[in-house]
Amino acid sequence: MDRRDFLKQSSLASSLFFVPSFIKALELISPKQLGYRRLVLIQLSGGNDGLNTIIPFNNDDYYRNRPNIAIPKAEVIKATNELGFHESMLPLKKLYDEGYMTILNNVGYPNPNRSHFRATDIWHTGSRSDQYLTTGWIGRFLDNYGDEPFNAIEIDDSLSLAMKGQHMYGIAAKNPQALFRTSQDPYFKNVLKHYDDEHLSEHNLGYLYKTMIAAESSAKYIFEKHKTGSNSKDYPKNAFAQQMKTTAKLISSGIDTRIFYASLGGFDTHAGQVQSQKRLLDIYAESIDAFVSDLKQQGTFNDTLIVTFSEFGRRVKQNAAHGTDHGAANNVFIIGNQLKQLGFYNELASLSDLDDNGDLKYTIDFRSIYATLLDKWLSVDHSRILNQSFSHLKFI
Amino acid sequence: MKKQHIQHLYWRTGFGATPTQLEVLSQFDRHQVVDMLFQNATNLTVLETDTSEIDHLTQYDLKTKSNRKLFRDVSTKKLKAFNTLWVNRLVTSNALLREKMTLFWANHFVCRDNHILHVQQYNNTLRSHALGDFGDFVKAISKEAAMLKYLNNKQNRKSKPNENFARELMELFMLGEGHYTEEDIKESARAFTGYSHNYEGEFKLWQQQHDNGFKTFFGHTGRYDGDDIIDIILKQRQCARFICEKIYRYFVNENLDEARVNELTDVFYKDYNIETLMRFLLMADWFYDGKNIGVKIKSPIEFLVGILKMVPMEFKNAKDIIKIQKLLGQVLLYPPNVAGWEGGRSWIDSNTIMMRLKLPSVLLSNAKISLTEKGEFEDSFKKYYKQRSNDFVKVEVDWVAFEDQFDKVSTNDLKSILITTKLNNGTKSYFEGLSKTSKRDVCVQLMSLPEYQMC
Repeated sequence: MDRRDFLKQSSLASSLFFVPSFIKALELISPKQLGYRRLVLIQLSGGNDGLNTIIPFNNDDYYRNRPNIAIPKAEVIKATNELGFHESMLPLKKLYDEGYMTILNNVGYPNPNRSHFRATDIWHTGSRSDQYLTTGWIGRFLDNYGDEPFNAIEIDDSLSLAMKGQHMYGIAAKNPQALFRTSQDPYFKNVLKHYDDEHLSEHNLGYLYKTMIAAESSAKYIFEKHKTGSNSKDYPKNAFAQQMKTTAKLISSGIDTRIFYASLGGFDTHAGQVQSQKRLLDIYAESIDAFVSDLKQQGTFNDTLIVTFSEFGRRVKQNAAHGTDHGAANNVFIIGNQLKQLGFYNELASLSDLDDNGDLKYTIDFRSIYATLLDKWLSVDHSRILNQSFSHLKFI
Repeated sequence: MKKQHIQHLYWRTGFGATPTQLEVLSQFDRHQVVDMLFQNATNLTVLETDTSEIDHLTQYDLKTKSNRKLFRDVSTKKLKAFNTLWVNRLVTSNALLREKMTLFWANHFVCRDNHILHVQQYNNTLRSHALGDFGDFVKAISKEAAMLKYLNNKQNRKSKPNENFARELMELFMLGEGHYTEEDIKESARAFTGYSHNYEGEFKLWQQQHDNGFKTFFGHTGRYDGDDIIDIILKQRQCARFICEKIYRYFVNENLDEARVNELTDVFYKDYNIETLMRFLLMADWFYDGKNIGVKIKSPIEFLVGILKMVPMEFKNAKDIIKIQKLLGQVLLYPPNVAGWEGGRSWIDSNTIMMRLKLPSVLLSNAKISLTEKGEFEDSFKKYYKQRSNDFVKVEVDWVAFEDQFDKVSTNDLKSILITTKLNNGTKSYFEGLSKTSKRDVCVQLMSLPEYQMC
C-alpha cells in the first residue's frame, strides 16, 4: 500500500495532508521511497524555433525555406554531419561534448495545436489535443506522491497549470524571502494561533484555513532551506539566470523538492527572428552554463536532471517579416550525468515531408518523455499521473 | 426582507450590498427587492473602449506590414483597457444582475481572441442576451466572429469539415459530455460548414462552402443549417438540465440538490427564457436556506470587485488592476482554456490564499493590519510593519465615501455586513478581543480573514 492508497482508504482523503500532526504520522508509516532525485523543467515560452537552435546545416530544404533567416553553415557549431548548434548555444555544445546532454528531435503529439495557450495547456496537463484537463501533470504527481506544496516549486509569482492537481498544488516561490515575509504577517499568525481546528471540517472555509496553514509552513520551510543553501558560481544578471540561481541554492540546501519549474519567455519570433532569438539563446545558454557548473561544484549534478521544452516549434518556411510562424514538433533538451543515450536520441524528421501546415511531423510523443521521467527518474508509476500508459524512451 | 437575505441575494447576483443599500432594501419584501433587481437590469449599456486609433483602418489598409503591426499593437493595448473598463463596470453598474449574468455567460460560452473589436462585440453580445432567450443566445454566439475563430468554425468547410465547434457546442454549451454520439458531432459539423465573418465582424454564410445535403441528427433528418441543429438540441430536456445545473452551482451551491435542479429544469425547459428562470430561482424560499448562504468561495473577480464596492478607490496605474487579477488567478478576457475557470476550491493555492489575505491591507492601509489587543497600548508587532512601504500598487482610497457609507453602521454591525459566513469560533474570539479604534481598521481586519473569501 503506498501513501495515496493509504489516504484514500483512511477516508480522510484529500485535505488531510494539510494538518501538520498527520504529516508526522504519515512520515512514520511511510518512509521515504522517492530518493532525492530532482527534476528541473524549463519552458522556453512563445515557441522556440528549434530548427535555428539545432541546425540541419547540410539540408538544402532548410536553406531553401529560409533564405533570410537560415543560420549560415559557417556559423554553425557542428555536432554531427547533419546537425549543429547555434553559436549562442556554445555552452550547451560543451555539455554535449562532455556527455551530459541528450537531444530529442521531433517531439510533439497527434493533431498539434498552434495556439500558444492551448499548446501550453496540452504540455502542462499532458492531455491529447482534443482533450481538456483541468489538472497539470506535476499537480497529479503531487496528488499521488506528494506530501507538501513545496515538493514542487515554481520559480515565479504565480502557479502554472502544470503545478495544479486535484487535491494538491505546488507552490510558487520566485523570491523565498518575500514569500516568507508575506506569510509571516503577524495578523495572520495570530489568526492561525487562535482559530479553532476542531471545527475545521471538509467544507470550503475549512479548506481555506488548511491551505493558509500549509502556505505558512511551506513558505517558512522554503525560506529556512534557502537561507542554508548556497551558490558556488556567479550568475548572469538577467531574470532567468536568477531563477536558475534560486533553484541551485534550494537544491544545495537539501530541500525536499522533487520538481522545479522555471521559464524564459519571448520566443514568439514572428518578425526579425535572427536577432531576437540570438539574444534569448544567449540568456538561456549562459544561465544553464552557470547552473550546471554550480550543481557540479556542489555535488548535486548527479541527482539533477534538467529538461527544456517549448510549447511548439516553428514553421519550416520563414514568413515575409523575416520571422517564423507557429509550428508543431520541436526538440527537447535533456541535461544530466546519468544519461543512457548521449547526443542525438533520434534523427531530425524530414524537411520535405511536412504536415498540411508545413510543419515538422512528430516522431516522439511528449507524454512518453513524461512517462520516462516519472518512472525512470522519479521512480513513480506514470500511468497514475498520465491516466494512460506510454512506452519508455531510453535516454535515462 | 431580512438584511442577511439581502446580502446573500446581492452577493450571488452582484458583488455585495453596501450599508445604504441594505438599509433601504430592508424596508421592502422579497418580491419587491427581486423585482427591482430585474428593473435595474432592463437597460442595456454596451461596454466600449475608445478604438479610434484603428477604427479607420480598412481591410485594404491591413495589406501593409506597418498597418498590421499598428493594428496588433493597438489591439493588445486596448484589450487591457477593455479589461479594466469591464472591472470598473462591475464596480459601478446599477444593472447588477445583467452584469453578473454576463460574467457567468462569459465563463460558459468561453472565448478568447486578440482582436479588440471582435472581443468587444462578443462581450456585448453576452451582455445583451444575458437575460433573454437561450436559443437565440446560442445562435448569436455561433455567429460571433471571435467564436468562429476560437473554435475553428471559420475553417469548417464542406470539403473538409472541422468538428471543433460542433463538439464544444454539445459538450460545453448545451448538453454536457456523454449526451451525444460521435456521429451527432460529425453530422452537425456539416450543418455549420461555410460559417464565416467579414472584416467588420458581421456573420457571413459562405454558400459555396456550406454543405446543403441531408444530415441525420438526434434521429431527425433534413437539410439542416446551424440554427436548425441548435433548435433540435433545445428539444432535449438534458439541455435545460445542463444549463440549470450550472446556474445552480454558480448562484446557489456547488453541491447539487437533485430536487431543486429538477424544479429549475421544469421552469427552463418550457421556453428557455433566462429571465423567467432567474426570477423563479431568486424568489424560491430554498435559495435563502442557511445551507446556501456564505458557502461559496468568491472568484478573484468577486473578491476584488467586492472590496472596491465597499471602499471606493482609484488605481494610479491601470496595469495594476490586471496585475492583481493575474496574481489572484483570474484575468478577465483571458480564460485558461475552452472549459473556462473551474471555480470553487481550484481558485485557492498557497500563493493565491496569501495574496487574498494580504490584498485588502495592501490596498487600504499600506499593508498594515491593526492588531492592538484590548488593553494594549501599542501593538507588539510594530517591528514587522516598520519600514514597510507599499510599492506593490498605487491607489488613492476614497475614505470620505467610505465614512459616509458606514456613518450609521456601528463597529459591531460591520462584521455582519462584510462577512456572510459564520466566523470560526477561535477566530471570532480573537477578533472580538482586538481594540476597535476606527471603522477603517476593523474593515481591514475583517477583509483579511479567510471568512471574507466566502460569499
